[in-house]
Amino acid sequence: MAKVFKSLLLGICDKTIMRLKNSSRKYEILQNHRVESSLSRQVKKNNAQLYKLLVATNTAEQIFDIKMYKAIKQYDLSAHWTQRAVNTKYANVCFSSSDNIDVLNTAKRLHAEQINEIAKKRAIYVEKWNQRKQAYLATHIDNQTVIDKSKQDFEQLLQNACGEIDAQFETKYAVAQDKIKVHQSITDRKLASALERKNKLLRNEFQPLSEDTVLSVKDLCMYFGGLHAVEKLSFDVKKGEIFGLIGPNGAGKTTVFNCITQFYKPTSGQLLFNDKQNQTIKLTDYAVHDIVLQGISRTFQNVEVIKEISVLENLLIAATRFYTSSILEHALHLPILRIEEKLIKDRALNLLELMGLSTYKDWYAYGLPYGILKKIEIARALMVQPKLIILDEPAAGLNDTETAELAKLIKRIRDEFNCTILLVEHDMSLVMSVCDRICAISFGKELATGTPKQIQADKSVQEAYLGVVEE
Amino acid sequence: MTSTQFKSRLLCDKTPLEKETESIDSIKRALKNPLSQYIIFGIILIALQALSSLGDELRITIIKVSFMSALGSTLIYSMVSIGFCLLLGYSGLASLGTAGFIGIGAYCAFFCLQEWNVPYIVAILFALAVSIVIGVLVGFISLRIEGIYLAIITLGLAEILRYALQAIRATININLKNIVLFGTKIDKTTVYYLIVIVLLILMWITSNMINSPTGRAMLAMKNSTSAAQAYGISLMKYRLLAFVLSTCYAALAGVMYMMYLRSVSTSMSTLFKLATSLNILGAVIIGGAKSIWGVLAGTFIMYGLSPMFLSDVKFLTENPTFITLFTGFLIILVVMFYPGGLAQLVQLGKIKISAFIKKAKEKKYGKSI
Repeated sequence: MAKVFKSLLLGICDKTIMRLKNSSRKYEILQNHRVESSLSRQVKKNNAQLYKLLVATNTAEQIFDIKMYKAIKQYDLSAHWTQRAVNTKYANVCFSSSDNIDVLNTAKRLHAEQINEIAKKRAIYVEKWNQRKQAYLATHIDNQTVIDKSKQDFEQLLQNACGEIDAQFETKYAVAQDKIKVHQSITDRKLASALERKNKLLRNEFQPLSEDTVLSVKDLCMYFGGLHAVEKLSFDVKKGEIFGLIGPNGAGKTTVFNCITQFYKPTSGQLLFNDKQNQTIKLTDYAVHDIVLQGISRTFQNVEVIKEISVLENLLIAATRFYTSSILEHALHLPILRIEEKLIKDRALNLLELMGLSTYKDWYAYGLPYGILKKIEIARALMVQPKLIILDEPAAGLNDTETAELAKLIKRIRDEFNCTILLVEHDMSLVMSVCDRICAISFGKELATGTPKQIQADKSVQEAYLGVVEE
Repeated sequence: MTSTQFKSRLLCDKTPLEKETESIDSIKRALKNPLSQYIIFGIILIALQALSSLGDELRITIIKVSFMSALGSTLIYSMVSIGFCLLLGYSGLASLGTAGFIGIGAYCAFFCLQEWNVPYIVAILFALAVSIVIGVLVGFISLRIEGIYLAIITLGLAEILRYALQAIRATININLKNIVLFGTKIDKTTVYYLIVIVLLILMWITSNMINSPTGRAMLAMKNSTSAAQAYGISLMKYRLLAFVLSTCYAALAGVMYMMYLRSVSTSMSTLFKLATSLNILGAVIIGGAKSIWGVLAGTFIMYGLSPMFLSDVKFLTENPTFITLFTGFLIILVVMFYPGGLAQLVQLGKIKISAFIKKAKEKKYGKSI
């Protein structure tokens, strides 16, 4: 009973913490947007004036030339299409056989005629326009002094606009920052008290982890009925390292992952994690959909990319919990949603760029090659700004070059995004080249933990993989 | 944010000369915006009724009265279908209790009006509140499971509701003359306008939902529960949201139905029977569960086609089952060949037409040989 009560209180604490964080972030976004929109309005107003002057600096001849260019463009376009048709026909004939060379020649001749015709028509048209131009110029006589003056005005206006923007930006931005700071100091105080309450609740339950440990698994047991999938497994993952979990088929690696991410509730054992605020938490206190908020994201063994939506939207799904707007605001499409959507979309596009997937951003995930789906999953895991990424067999189904690429990518992610990586893998070359430390398990029991070299030399690991040598 | 970011935007827009040619594009873009599409749709619907009432005044039949009443009830069913589209197409849940929720809406509003004599708007809100409460209760119990089991539970619920209403022997029979909404007395024409407005609002809200993170979360949940959970989407929350929304839509439709037909008897009417739920399901499947326009088209085929256009065909009026046969075959064909429904068909058509235009262009500019 006391336990249930405690978990209830913990849940309330977490909800308050999240609400406070959301409110301060929302305030920040809105204030920044206000500055941006007011400045954008300024820019727009200036732009209108600038263009007016820019047009005034053009001579009558230039203005007429722009009009003429537009009128003549369609002839160029049709000539282009004809040329293209010849090219495709030529390619077709070359592919089929040389017998058709006559056909090709006639085609070429006909096309040449056509192009000539177009050119003739164009020439007539140009002439007509030139006549109109003369007429136009006769009525519109340039006043050089006016043009010079508007050029000067233009330069001055541009300078003024730049200066104005600078000045406005400084004042408005400073005001907004001050407001944000005031708001944040209020929420911070509340946040601190909420965190303290949470600390009080968690105290005495377990020893907090040291600073450099991210995840600690202690005596983890997971039984499915009579099947002991994981038994008394313990390991620690240090901050900033790439930790590998290896073992033969059915050793219980994925089960360990599912226990960490709370897809399975472990039978017994302790799972401690240093969350984003560097506070030690017990993962078993959280529901499966709250794990991502603590800073753990994962990929899946058989890729779970949503196939009905585009690649970009797949990344946006990962950020669902990071929108501060409520469902009501979604239903009415209030401006806050648009602002947030833009911010999050930018982040997603940056990630896609990093992964080299920009060309696929509007493609539906359905039918994309396996290697790309794997990359999308990794990008999606990075969307939530995680502290720990759990990769479940990232190299399964990839060829050798792709695997080598993946090894580079994993190291790069660790360095650039400042996170810890925990991975399960069958591909030994990848594991040995990438991992800093490895834990080998067999039938749910730990065999050995250590650096790749130690694991390779370990006798029990060799036995588990290759069988016992009986003499 | 830096000030250079804004400075770089100076003189970055298009020139006024370029802007001139863009006016057509901007109109096209405005037409692509769902809200403007819905408004145009609403204007057409209202114009039809206006034409019909104009005909009444001039004593000529421009549009038949039976046509208009069939259109009205089709629009009411469309509200239910749109809610169901959110449930089936986006959350992947199939409920067969739709008819029950329509009944709740109709009966609650009626009860409120008859017993307590409250303003009409209060009656509508009361019906909505009751449907939300029942939706949340049923949802908490039944949404832990998926697929056929959910359908069975909701089916049972709908039957319970129907028998409960029969046991009360509630015959809804309201007098429209007493109803005052927003200070004006309403008759059948005004109820029709109200239906159109409510439908448009529901369409707008649904399309907003679909294009927001909420809609994406629902789709994620439908496709892969594990991926959704791993990225912080609570299955229960979003399932409950979709379910409650669809019950709300159904209840609103029930209220509108009561106002439009004015008399419904729970024991005689087919409205609260399983057939309604199945028809709505059929309409959503024919139209395409993921498209609002598709769902409207599906509902039109299910409910509007025969009373609106085929009422003069003698063969069909003598054999009314034939139209059911037709829709049945249509469902089979759609499920076999176009799982995305009519919406998918239209989309494929669009792609083909654009390809055809491209080909024709190529032919035109290089047609010799």
